[in-house]
Amino acid sequence: MEAHESVDFMRLMSEESTVSTLSSDSCEYYQTEIFDLLPSIQASRPEQNRHDFSEETNQGGREAREKSGQLSRGPRDKTSMQPLRNLAMCIQGKRGAKERRKLEVNDINFWESWRKSQSTNRKRVREQIKEALSGLVPWEHTLRTIEGKFGVGVKSYFVFLRYLIYLNLLHCVLIGGFIVGPSIFYRSDKYEPLSYNENDSALNFFLGTGYVNRSLVFYGFYTRGSLDLKCLNTPLLYLAGIFSIIFLSLILVVRRTTVGYKHTWMLGKRYSMNVSYKIFCGWDFTIQDPTAAALKHGFIRNDLKLFLEEQSFSLRAAQRTLREKVRLYLLRIILNLIAISLLGGAFYLIYFATQTSLKKGNSQPHWLVSLLFQYLPPITITFVNLVLPHIFRKISSFEDYSFTMQVNVTLLRSIFLKLASLGIYLFFVFTTTEQDAKCKENQFGREMYKLSIFNFLATFFSVFFFNYPRKLVQETYPRSLLARISGKQRFLIPFNVLDLVYSQTVSWVGVYYCPLLPVIGIVSLVVTFYVKKFSVMRCCVPEQRMFRGSSSSVLFHFMLLLGLFMCAATLGFNHYPLQSTEGRNASSCGPFRNEQTMFNVTGDCVKSLPSPAQTTIRYLTSEAFALPLILAEIIFLTSYVSRRRANQRAIERLKDMLVMSSSDKRFLVKQHATMLRQRNKQH
Amino acid sequence: MGTTASQLSKESLSEYQELTFLTKQEILLAHKRFTELLEKHEKDQIDARVPMGKIITLPELKSNPFKERICRVFSTSEQKDGSLTFEDFLDLLSAFSDSATLEIKSHYAFRIFDFDDDGTLDCADLEKLVNCLTGETNDAKLSSTEMKQLISNILEESDIDKDGTVNLSEFQHVISRSPDFVSSFKIVL
Repeated sequence: MEAHESVDFMRLMSEESTVSTLSSDSCEYYQTEIFDLLPSIQASRPEQNRHDFSEETNQGGREAREKSGQLSRGPRDKTSMQPLRNLAMCIQGKRGAKERRKLEVNDINFWESWRKSQSTNRKRVREQIKEALSGLVPWEHTLRTIEGKFGVGVKSYFVFLRYLIYLNLLHCVLIGGFIVGPSIFYRSDKYEPLSYNENDSALNFFLGTGYVNRSLVFYGFYTRGSLDLKCLNTPLLYLAGIFSIIFLSLILVVRRTTVGYKHTWMLGKRYSMNVSYKIFCGWDFTIQDPTAAALKHGFIRNDLKLFLEEQSFSLRAAQRTLREKVRLYLLRIILNLIAISLLGGAFYLIYFATQTSLKKGNSQPHWLVSLLFQYLPPITITFVNLVLPHIFRKISSFEDYSFTMQVNVTLLRSIFLKLASLGIYLFFVFTTTEQDAKCKENQFGREMYKLSIFNFLATFFSVFFFNYPRKLVQETYPRSLLARISGKQRFLIPFNVLDLVYSQTVSWVGVYYCPLLPVIGIVSLVVTFYVKKFSVMRCCVPEQRMFRGSSSSVLFHFMLLLGLFMCAATLGFNHYPLQSTEGRNASSCGPFRNEQTMFNVTGDCVKSLPSPAQTTIRYLTSEAFALPLILAEIIFLTSYVSRRRANQRAIERLKDMLVMSSSDKRFLVKQHATMLRQRNKQH
Repeated sequence: MGTTASQLSKESLSEYQELTFLTKQEILLAHKRFTELLEKHEKDQIDARVPMGKIITLPELKSNPFKERICRVFSTSEQKDGSLTFEDFLDLLSAFSDSATLEIKSHYAFRIFDFDDDGTLDCADLEKLVNCLTGETNDAKLSSTEMKQLISNILEESDIDKDGTVNLSEFQHVISRSPDFVSSFKIVL
């Protein structure tokens, strides 16, 4: 009990006053006679009182009018400038105000009325255009149905999916413009034309070998063509395409992340208005459909309950005794150790699979066995990524975290698992492919190609061969043991988002080696959209606890950012040795063959420029420029931080002043009321 | 249709345009919808009142949990029965229109949420408000401890001067920081 009180200490002020409303309501200041006459109340309730006042003044003569004018002078000064329709009073009251303002009753002339209706019309048209455009946005209707049935959380998954499709479309445009277009157009004739050999088979599309290997899917296709100026050649365009993809994605993702971040976390705990938003802005007054209204009720209720549950959980957490704490931390350490050992095991499995695949992949007689061995690493990675997150979820439920914290911890572990397993796989591929150096980039691209194809197949098959049969079993034999064990299916947003992030990361990492990955990405994302929609609408039941929409989307984009960084790191890692030991690593295919690297291609271009441009570029890339830049950034940041601190302090002080003056007001009003009462008794 | 439109004189039409946020078309449409609710013999009277029971059957208000409060707030009736004249109806539509300012909207939102009309949102008001939002049936309502916890949270956040109630300026302070209030506080015929 004691602990409870100490936790609630912050809220003591307001609680005390709420109690007093119940105990001594006769003395509460907003129910006293003078309360209605206070200038601040006058300002907030102009309609009723002002209306009464004006009637009173008409009867009572000049003196009362003067008095009322003095009382509410402040607000009236403000309101006298506003147009009449901005006053919050009824039409009759506005008429009175108009007369009081001694405005002549000149009716609106034609010109003015026309202008007003034009401006409203323009606004309407703009809104209609916006609506029509939002109707053009694909799947808007589907999204709305999903939101109505499953809440904002599930919808945010689909919005994220759509966002990724846009992102990939942008990538496709860039690739088409910078890489594919010029390469095909200026392709020199000395290379043999692309043809379909007799020993190519459909299997090649899965393995990325044979025909596909020679086609424009992979790095090796993009040779230096006839477009061979110093500063405009296919290798340079290739580089420009890849860098613009990475750079634009970085900008877009960072922007999305910071927008969300600003809304959720930047405001800080003391200024957060989360609950008040939910209450005061909770209802959507445009809802007309009764079923939509019922959904909205349910949604608000669940949201509030989740919030309250989390709050009472943190209260309970604060009350834990030392012994409980020690036990809990021990438990958490053990569980974390289990999680780490699981991760270690998973990484070893991936290592093992990669080794086996590389040793035995090509030397198998039967094509099916060969396919299996070729696909062993993607199968292992996808399997590990499918199973371990669910184990992590079970583990985190023992750790006694709050619901959001549980979700976040599971997400953190799973994202680590996914990215690290991908990283480890990449590392093994890098280190082991050197002996077989016919076209190393193509081989690397092939691995990424296989990963993304298999990832897509896994989503597809897990829905149609796992989720849907499970649902069918439950529907046809609802009492069977199998149905009872498997339970109801829920749409686990975090894991599904993780899958998306993972496939996007693969696409980014591989885009340098396999430029058509974004196209494959678009196709698979669009199909994924429909598959997941089917899975949600047909197989899943709505979650009882709502997943937070706003904060989660920040998390999604943050994970995406991690993927992007991983891509940049891979590219850097892959190209750094190229510079140091050029002879050993010069690649034998693609745009950078014959002793060319991305560094000397750009260097040649710079050398061909006129000398002022050369010196400028040299200066921009040198340390002499970096230092002032960093200094300037530091100065800007410091000034912003100090301004923020000053504002925060001012806000604190103003809040204190507000509390003080309001308590003064309350005291005086109460005093006045008791004096009035005493005087009435004496009379 | 033509006959109902002609009932509004040109002077009153331009006056309404000056005093509300509505356009000419919106006023005419409102007039048409309003006269449909009136009894036959009332159609010629300017200050005829439509009882609250009839107003809340409008499809725009039917599924709104605050429909009765909205009628009461905009009613100028002496009996406080929530009945609306045409001008009250215009007031309502003006406050909920596209072009009304945040100031006006938040003012009327405050009055709608102030169930006992005492000028502040106290605990009882907040409780009623939360019940309206979650649904009024017994299994939809929050339990009393949950309600208490929730209200103390609301007050802690938005009761800046710590007097135990949320007054208009505190309310507007909260509203002004919510990006989607203006778009959701809207009723268009």
